[in-house]
Formats: sequence, structure tokens, C-alpha cells
Amino acid sequence: MSRDEMRELQSEKLRKIVSHAYNNSSFYKKRFDEHGVRPEDIKSIDDIVKLPFTVKQDLRDNYPFGMMCVPMTNILRLHASSGTTGKPIVVGYTEKDLDNWSEAVARCLTAYGLGNDDMVQIAYGYGLFTGGLGAHDGVTKIGGTVIPTSSGNTQKQLQLMQDFGATAVACTPSYALYMAEEIRKQGLDINNFKLKVGIFGAEPWTEAMRKELEEKLHIKAFDIYGLTEISGPGVGGECECQNGTHLWEDLYYPEIIDPVTLQPVEPGQKGELVFTTLDKWGMPMIRYRTRDLTYLNYEKCECGRTAVRMGKILGRSDDMMIIRGVNVFPSQVESILLEFPEYEPYFLIEVDRINNTDTFDIQVEVKPEFYTDQVNEVVRLRQRLTARIQSVIGIQPNIKIVQPGTIERSTGKAKRAIDHRKFE
Amino acid sequence: MLIRQISVFLENEKGKFAEIARLLGNNGINMKAFTVSETQDFGIARIIVERDQIERAFNLIKSNSYAVTMTQVVYLECAHKPGAMADAMERLSAAGISVEYMYAFADSSSEFSRVIIRPDNTELANQIIQEL
Ligand SMILES: [Zn+2]
Repeated sequence: MSRDEMRELQSEKLRKIVSHAYNNSSFYKKRFDEHGVRPEDIKSIDDIVKLPFTVKQDLRDNYPFGMMCVPMTNILRLHASSGTTGKPIVVGYTEKDLDNWSEAVARCLTAYGLGNDDMVQIAYGYGLFTGGLGAHDGVTKIGGTVIPTSSGNTQKQLQLMQDFGATAVACTPSYALYMAEEIRKQGLDINNFKLKVGIFGAEPWTEAMRKELEEKLHIKAFDIYGLTEISGPGVGGECECQNGTHLWEDLYYPEIIDPVTLQPVEPGQKGELVFTTLDKWGMPMIRYRTRDLTYLNYEKCECGRTAVRMGKILGRSDDMMIIRGVNVFPSQVESILLEFPEYEPYFLIEVDRINNTDTFDIQVEVKPEFYTDQVNEVVRLRQRLTARIQSVIGIQPNIKIVQPGTIERSTGKAKRAIDHRKFE
Repeated sequence: MLIRQISVFLENEKGKFAEIARLLGNNGINMKAFTVSETQDFGIARIIVERDQIERAFNLIKSNSYAVTMTQVVYLECAHKPGAMADAMERLSAAGISVEYMYAFADSSSEFSRVIIRPDNTELANQIIQEL
């Protein structure tokens, strides 16, 4: 499909879904009215910028069914995601929604090179989490064989994977690494497995993890992107080129906005990813702010697909800081540290304002084996990091090398940035 | 003579060197010589201890979460007389050796000054020192 044909289709679908949302949900009616926009103002996909945003808090405020746009009798399935604070968010699917969702997952699987001869072990959790059942329906759609192991019980997973001859496994990349480690520990031979494809998502992962998974499991490892609010896994997936995640934009329309001004950015620029579900009727999401930071590439892919490609998730817009007028994301510092074999990937950013100038201090640790008795070598190592961060982020940091073990290790919840500035 | 030196990375905060000195002292390890070279933000302490205590000192510092390395350096006993040090340094320089850093500790009860030299070419420097 050409990009013009795609825009035509998107425009038509947007008009329909906007009027459905406005006419069948008190939430959207109120939100559109407050924003001064009516469904008839939306004529083409370009008019999407006239619409108000939706955020995760809206789903919590309308717990459990306040955002449904069809009678509950038409809702065939509910999923929920717990989150760390407050009420869970709940999503509901009509028959058509489930069909579109499985179509989206099926497109991902096809892009990975899977078909009806394949046997896919689904080691995502089955249940309220969208991962298990979402992947399950997609495999069924392409006529493949599902091995619905769900997550956990690794020993059994591996036994079935080997005995059944699973050709693909769907799980989080960190669980796949754990399985690879178990295969080694249990003395199993990877050559006795028939795996060729890994379908990995639900958490961010790096190119280094991809390489490790591909080497250890003898597979090609592909990203599957998705989020519960938009439908679940399969909003997008990589193709054989492994050069960006194709988004199925006739179903889920992506935009990139500046998280501060909320204005769309120039094509290809980094910003916050926003989705509008163009063909989801139970609980449409209009301009939903994902908080994920990335960029979009509209060039035709070498695989032949014209569907827009999303770059790596660079971080969360919630973490963004503005230092000396420049947007800084802690994840940028992390990816730079990963380029240096001499540094640990741990860091702590501290920002303050002294004499009306923002300070930008970054604590880092040098790996023990790279320490030396020579001051100049440490100084040079620090200069290289300073220069690299300045060229990527645009402002010069003050790098402070601290003793091994100083920086908090626990991943995920670890505090990676402290802003001491007072704005009043 | 070649001997081993312990180098410890220190954040430039008050009392950091004292922590190391206390750690060694509490464990009965005597520092025979040391020097600290520092920049604005950090320093590196180089320490010489008794030969039979060096492994223990190294492991002790390491297990207390300091970044520590062991380096071979040249140990020179230089006669207490005018020009002796100049002679030694000229010989090294003539052999094309450059010195990264060095430090001395005089001992008035002895007829020698003891000098620690960290040359770029440790083996060659040691050979020249032996021939002095
Ligand atoms: Zn492609």
C-alpha cells in the first residue's frame, strides 16, 4: 500500500472512530467539548492534531468500565494491567477488536518469517496480562501450532520445547536469557532444539541482549511492541531487516510529540509516542500518550513494507529533565555508558542551579580491571566520556568517577537522577 | 630491584587517605612509603608495604570496595652524596627511558636514600639501576 493510500484509509477510519467515541462515551464527549472540537471538524488524518490527548490517569479515573464505548454485552474479553500505584487499568475488546488485535500479531509473526508450519511456545503469562492470550490468538490466526506453557516452571518449559520441537518462543527477553542460562546449567545441547525465532517484548532490551540471545539460543531475535491501553502486544513488530519496528498504522496511528509543548515534532525527530486506535470499538484510545520516547522513520523498508518504523525506545518522557534549556533523558546517558567497555552501566545524575546556571553532574564507576596507577589515564578516560556525552546530549557534563559499588545497583526502580533545583 | 606497588583510587573527599591508612594500620600493615597524586576530583595513592604483606594489603583494600591495582616499579637505593641521584637519572634518560612518576624517602640512619621510580620501560630501567 502506498503512503497516499494509507493516509486515505487512515482518514476514513479516524472520522468513524472519532464520531463513535464522541457519541458513545460521556468521557470523550466531555473531553472533546472542553477542547472545543467536534467530530465534524475531523476530515482527514491531518486533523488529528485538533483532538485532545488521553493519558493513563484517565483510565484510572474511569475504573473499571467508564471508558467503554459499547454496551458491556458486546465486550467479549477484559484485560487489566496492575501498574505500581493505584487502581489497575482495564481494557475491553469487542469481537472485532479481538480480530484486529490477532491480525496485528499475525502480521508481526509473518514479518518474523513464521507460518502455519511453525510451533510457537508462548511463555508470556496467560491471564489479565495481554502478553499470553495476545500472542496465542496471533499464532492461531496464522494457522501455527500453539504450545501454551505460560510463564514459569523453566525446567518443564525446556523439556517441552525440546521434545515438541518448538520453532519459536515468545516471552520477555530477560526470561529468554534465563532459559538460555538454564539450558547451559542443565547440560542440554541447544543443537537438540529446533528454535529459529524469538518473539521478545513487554520490556525494553538492548542490541547487546539481542546478540547474546541469538548466539545462545541459535535464533533470530525479534522485537514485538505493544501496550495494554492500545490493545496489547503486536502494535508493531520487526521484520527480517531488524532495523526498526514496523507499526501497523492502519490500526494504531502513531504520532511523535514534544512532551513539553505537546506539539508534533518534525518527521524523524525524537519525542513522545502517541497512539490513536483507528479500528478499536470497545474502548477506543484517542491520542493516547504512551510516555515512551522514540522516533519514526517513514522511509520504505528494505523488506518492501511501507509501514512506518519506530526506532528503539529511548526512555520515558516522565524522566525528562531540562538542563540549560536542553532536554536530557537519563536513558541517553545509559546508552552512552554502554558504548564504553571501561565504565559500568550504572550512573547517578545530579542537577542543581548555582549562580543561575544549571549544574549537570554525573557519577559513574570505572570497572575495576580498568583502574591504573596513572592519574593521566583516568583523566583521559573521563575526558572521552565527557566529550561523548556533550556531542550526543548537547551540554557538557561534569563527570565524577566514584569508587566501585557506590552507585545503587537495583535495576528498574533505582533512582538515576536527582534534581536539586527549586523552581518557585 | 623490582618491587610491587599498590595503587588505590581515591575520591577527592576529606579523610579518604586516612581511611586507607587506618585500614592497613588496624591490620598490622606498615606503610614503608607512599605518595598521593591528585587532580581536582580524585587522587591515586601509591603505597609500598613489606613484601610479605603486599597480597594481604591488596586484598584488604579491595574487599573494602576500593579500586586497587598492583604495579611493578623500580626500587633504587641511592647513595647519600651529591650528584648520586643525577647520575642515576642521566643513565635512565640516556637509555631512552622516561619516568612517569617517582618519589623518594630519605632515611638519615642509613647511608642510602630510597627511591621508587615508575618508568615507561620497567625491565630496562631495572637493568640499568642494577648496573649503577
Ligand atoms: Zn521491514
